[in-house]
Amino acid sequence: MSVLSSSMILASGDDPVAHIVDKAIFDSPVMLSMVTLMVCAGVVFYLLLRAARSISTGPESMGNKRYIPTGSFASVVEVIIVYLRDEMLVPVMGKRLTKRYLSFLLSMFFFILALNIVGLVPFVDIQDAIYGLMGKKFDLKEHQTAAVFGGAATASISVTGGLALVAFIVIQAQGFRELGIKGWLEHLCGGHELVHGSIFLWLVIPIIFVVEFFGLFVKPAALAIRLFANMVAGHTLLITVTMFGAMAMKAGLGTLAVGAITLVSGIGAILITFLEVFVALLQAFIFMFLTAVFISLMSHEEEAGQEDPHGSQPQATHATH
Amino acid sequence: MLIASADPLAFNLLPFITTIVVFTIVMGALSIYVWPKIQKGLDERNEKILHEIASAEAARVAASAKQKEFEQKLSEALEQSAVMIREAKAEAVRLGEEIRAKNEAELTARARRAGEEIENARRTAVAELESHAATLAISIAGRILQREINPSDQKRMVEESLAGMSSKRN
Repeated sequence: MSVLSSSMILASGDDPVAHIVDKAIFDSPVMLSMVTLMVCAGVVFYLLLRAARSISTGPESMGNKRYIPTGSFASVVEVIIVYLRDEMLVPVMGKRLTKRYLSFLLSMFFFILALNIVGLVPFVDIQDAIYGLMGKKFDLKEHQTAAVFGGAATASISVTGGLALVAFIVIQAQGFRELGIKGWLEHLCGGHELVHGSIFLWLVIPIIFVVEFFGLFVKPAALAIRLFANMVAGHTLLITVTMFGAMAMKAGLGTLAVGAITLVSGIGAILITFLEVFVALLQAFIFMFLTAVFISLMSHEEEAGQEDPHGSQPQATHATH
Repeated sequence: MLIASADPLAFNLLPFITTIVVFTIVMGALSIYVWPKIQKGLDERNEKILHEIASAEAARVAASAKQKEFEQKLSEALEQSAVMIREAKAEAVRLGEEIRAKNEAELTARARRAGEEIENARRTAVAELESHAATLAISIAGRILQREINPSDQKRMVEESLAGMSSKRN
């Protein structure tokens, strides 16, 4: 994949960041990331629906085999879901909040994961190469592309900002739902004990209020920037490494030197791609997990994380405790 | 060489809104068609496995109780059989003793009867022998005396002889 990407990039120019930024499809207002978002949504829905059919209990005619999921993809999805639920979310949010927000958090995790993984595949470069082979040339302006799908959508602050806004709305909705307006305001002022505590402590309330108020926006903003920055950095690194060959060629080095540099950069790009796959998974997890943490912070203090000190109900399928 | 690039931090409202809309739609679709199915499947499997474990535990307890019951019955049976063997041995010994005593008594009786028969036979033989000897002696004595001995003399002499022999034998 990376070698293919490398050869595509050799022909596509020498600006790694320009390769990453979101582009308009031809001269339409539709951005590449928008199509990618929709395609990824469809793919995620289709794949997870198939996995759900496999994981769900089959007809009684199958006997005890009806409880066994068929297919390795469904097994992987199941392992991820059970791990996230029992090992990550329940210890942080408690069983009640986990049950309430599991659909939202899992949807967010798999959606971001799909966007991150799709961003690693050079769909845009493949389409450019196909156009090149077909002899088609388009009169494109800067930040326009002839490709209709692909690119790293999560390397766009607009996309990660949208996801962060959804997370922000859910977090604040949870705060209003659990704490009420009064409790929510008390939370912003440092909590019930501080507000109803000593009059001298009231002096710190304005400071805490300012910090907490800005924190409301900083937390989701941090989510957006973290995901965006990691994706941009990873893709920039990957593209830069794959451009070494082209740079050597432009510098006028000999064929042997260009070949050697291209080979080394290709190997490096393959290794970085593996790292990026891990980063894609990790960043999807971090976005989802921190959202869960912020949701749990907006609930009654005694609930989050204390509902079940062992973190989960007895799980026969995955007895990890 | 690298050239100055477009600003990756440039914000675009359309992808921003698209992200929110697409994510909301996909989350809704997943929440309706996917997550409940997966949750139900996992819960049912979990319940099935817990049920099977509970059943296996109950079966293990029942088997353990049965084994204890069996062992107890086996122990009782062994004890009972030991008692029966002991009783059978005692009965056999008693019967053996009884048979032996009976045989001994019978043998003693038979021996006694045989002795009596022998004694009777001996006495009969002796009497016959004595009678024959007396007859022979009278015959010889008559020949010696050259005279006829009539039956009444013969009878008298035999009786005297027998009486003499009896007195001698006694």
